[in-house]
Amino acid sequence: MAKRSFAEYVANTQVWKSVFRHGPPDNARNRAAVVAGNVFLHLHPIKLKKSGVQLGYTWCMGGLTFFVFLALTITGVLLMFYYRPTAEYAFNDIIALREHVPLGIMRELHRWGAHLMVITVWIHMFRVFMTGSYKPPREFNWGVGVILLTLTLLLSFTGYLLPWDQLAIWAITVGSNMAKATPFLGHGGPGAALAKIGDFVMVSDKNDVRFQLLGGRFVGEPALLRFYILHCVFIPIVVAVLIAVHFWRVRKDGGISAPL
Amino acid sequence: MSVGRQKLNRREFFGWLSIGWITFSATCAGFASLVFRYLYPNVVFEPPMDFIAGFPSEYEEGVDERWKNGFGVWIYKNEGTLVAMSNICTHLGCVPNWLPAERKFKCPCHGSGYYPNGINFEGPAPRPLERYKVSLSADGKIIVDKSKVYRYEKGEWGNPGSFINV
Amino acid sequence: MKAVFNFLSQPQISFTMTIILFIVAIQKMEFFASKKFGWILLFGTLAFFGWGMTDSVFFGTMSWPDNIPIGILIAIVLWSTWFSLHKGVENDKRIAAGEPPLEGTPENREKVWAWPNLVYTELFAIIACTIFLVAWAIIFKAPLEEPANPTWAPNPAKAPWYFLGLQEMLVYFDPWMAGVVLPVLIIVGLVAIPYLDINPKGNGYYTFRERKFAISSFLFGWLVLWIFLIIVGTFLRGPNWTFYGPFEFWDHHKVVAENNINLSEIFWIKLFNTGLPKNIFLREIAGILLSVGYLFGSIPLITKFWGKRYLEGMGKVRYYLMIILMLTMFSLPIKMYLRWLINLKYIIFMPEFELNI
Repeated sequence: MAKRSFAEYVANTQVWKSVFRHGPPDNARNRAAVVAGNVFLHLHPIKLKKSGVQLGYTWCMGGLTFFVFLALTITGVLLMFYYRPTAEYAFNDIIALREHVPLGIMRELHRWGAHLMVITVWIHMFRVFMTGSYKPPREFNWGVGVILLTLTLLLSFTGYLLPWDQLAIWAITVGSNMAKATPFLGHGGPGAALAKIGDFVMVSDKNDVRFQLLGGRFVGEPALLRFYILHCVFIPIVVAVLIAVHFWRVRKDGGISAPL
Repeated sequence: MSVGRQKLNRREFFGWLSIGWITFSATCAGFASLVFRYLYPNVVFEPPMDFIAGFPSEYEEGVDERWKNGFGVWIYKNEGTLVAMSNICTHLGCVPNWLPAERKFKCPCHGSGYYPNGINFEGPAPRPLERYKVSLSADGKIIVDKSKVYRYEKGEWGNPGSFINV
Repeated sequence: MKAVFNFLSQPQISFTMTIILFIVAIQKMEFFASKKFGWILLFGTLAFFGWGMTDSVFFGTMSWPDNIPIGILIAIVLWSTWFSLHKGVENDKRIAAGEPPLEGTPENREKVWAWPNLVYTELFAIIACTIFLVAWAIIFKAPLEEPANPTWAPNPAKAPWYFLGLQEMLVYFDPWMAGVVLPVLIIVGLVAIPYLDINPKGNGYYTFRERKFAISSFLFGWLVLWIFLIIVGTFLRGPNWTFYGPFEFWDHHKVVAENNINLSEIFWIKLFNTGLPKNIFLREIAGILLSVGYLFGSIPLITKFWGKRYLEGMGKVRYYLMIILMLTMFSLPIKMYLRWLINLKYIIFMPEFELNI
């Protein structure tokens, strides 16, 4: 019996073969098997048009947006270990993340990653527009993409409050005061002054849409907690679901666009 | 027709079907409105809305900033009247700064400017600063009540309670 | 030289120049999408920023950590716009010569295996992105200011940079327009694009000539009304949201006389020499008529002089939706110019209902 290399030995153990059910992807059968049989890789089609893998065509911006989203999820979870969303602790915890924790760039990774995700998602949309990839049959998926872009901005915006410094509180004050101006639903918006019965004002600063967002009449501790939950739990779940829909529809609508 | 089991005719079937769907939708809407209401707490722990601002004689003519940081109020005394002004910009709720040299309030967010009496004259602010209710207590101290506001464009600055004579 | 740039970057002037440049670029796309212009653009930008960095004020603004993403954004937007149009013009030439677009050649239509062609591209993109992000995180500290203080606002108080376009709109429009109605319409308009643009050409490849109208209007919104306003809001707005040139020191006591008046005042006081009427609807009649006229009355005119072939091609629902979205989009530059030219504050001013346009 010929002497086998260590790699061959490992590839023939029961453990290895239980994990990877096929040989190395150097022939057609295994290349199909590796993509179709792996839950992560089966996001891809087994074969696709050559124009669809060229960086000059796709710019890889959608894929990078997804990657940055994953990176933000991981760094975000790590940040949550040290961060308490209360007015008393929040700011000090942010300082502790820089001063008292090894690998003090975790917050930087998260913050710059968030900025990067906004950029990549914009450029992704720009590329999809310039190649006309929203045209039939991909109209619906373009709509899903626009919602995802909006949610990306909202994710970034809700996260902006969490350091609880001057930059955060005033950016959110200005932002949430726009909600106050929502027609009919905000107490400072057009139409709200009409909605009153006698002296009883129906839309006031205690029950309008901004109060719902902030949990109070101004940006205070309830707002910090609400933004924390929105940022860490609610919006990411919605985004994850929509990303699944988005990817699924990319495949179902015929893969990456190409000339008809 | 079989004995004991009455079959529904078409009309009855759709009648029950619509009752079923209406009940289902109403229940869902009920749950949704409960969740909506849940987002509005019954009690909010925010600073009190009224405070005592000392004797009128403690104030000099012009704008006074001593209650700005604690309560968000400027006291403005002018020609025998004293008013309490909100320090919230009517544009987007930032806090304007009082610039004594230029005799105006200037909002750092979008550049709205107000005269010392609170009337807006530059920038995007749509209306003058709001005024709060002021009154005198039994021992002659000023009471500022922020839960009642008086707005210029509604013609409320002449109302009793919007100013005190000093 | 610096004074010239400070002067040129005033919103009135730079916005007008941007629009003129944009129109010229759309007309002379062959040149603007050429390799030659690409090099001019690259070296011109590098030279400008390299030279600008020698100025301490300019350097200070550019290197403030939260402004770094906008530097990156400017670079990527310039590159991506030029690159996509360059490929579009190349494809246009191929199509004019009877060839398929580059993406549609028989060679590029061939199917290739996802492993290794796609997965390795992705792997390298991920690695490059990670290196970039880690380097960025090591070099630039995330900004952190003093603890939150609800009684004192920093000057200037800026929103996150991606909302600075909206914040810049707030100078010209009231919050309910700039903060609620226009953003919602941006989202609605974007979602509506595939249903409004029924041109079957240009699906899946870069092109310019085949989709000239669609691309021009999208680029106008994207470059002129979004990216440009973000740049103004980030780099050219200082304390009190006053304009400061790129080389101008942020002097907190810069006084700008800015006394804006409402249309009702122009109409009744200047034109008719009478006081403002008591009835608010009568008082604002000029503004109401103008606004309604702009949004609805102008549609037949537009259709007559410009939109006939679009109306026939698209059908009524699509056409009117598109016109109304376009009119809303153009209301922003119109309001900006009205502010600059006649110091107009509000077209309709009804603080009684908080309804100001």
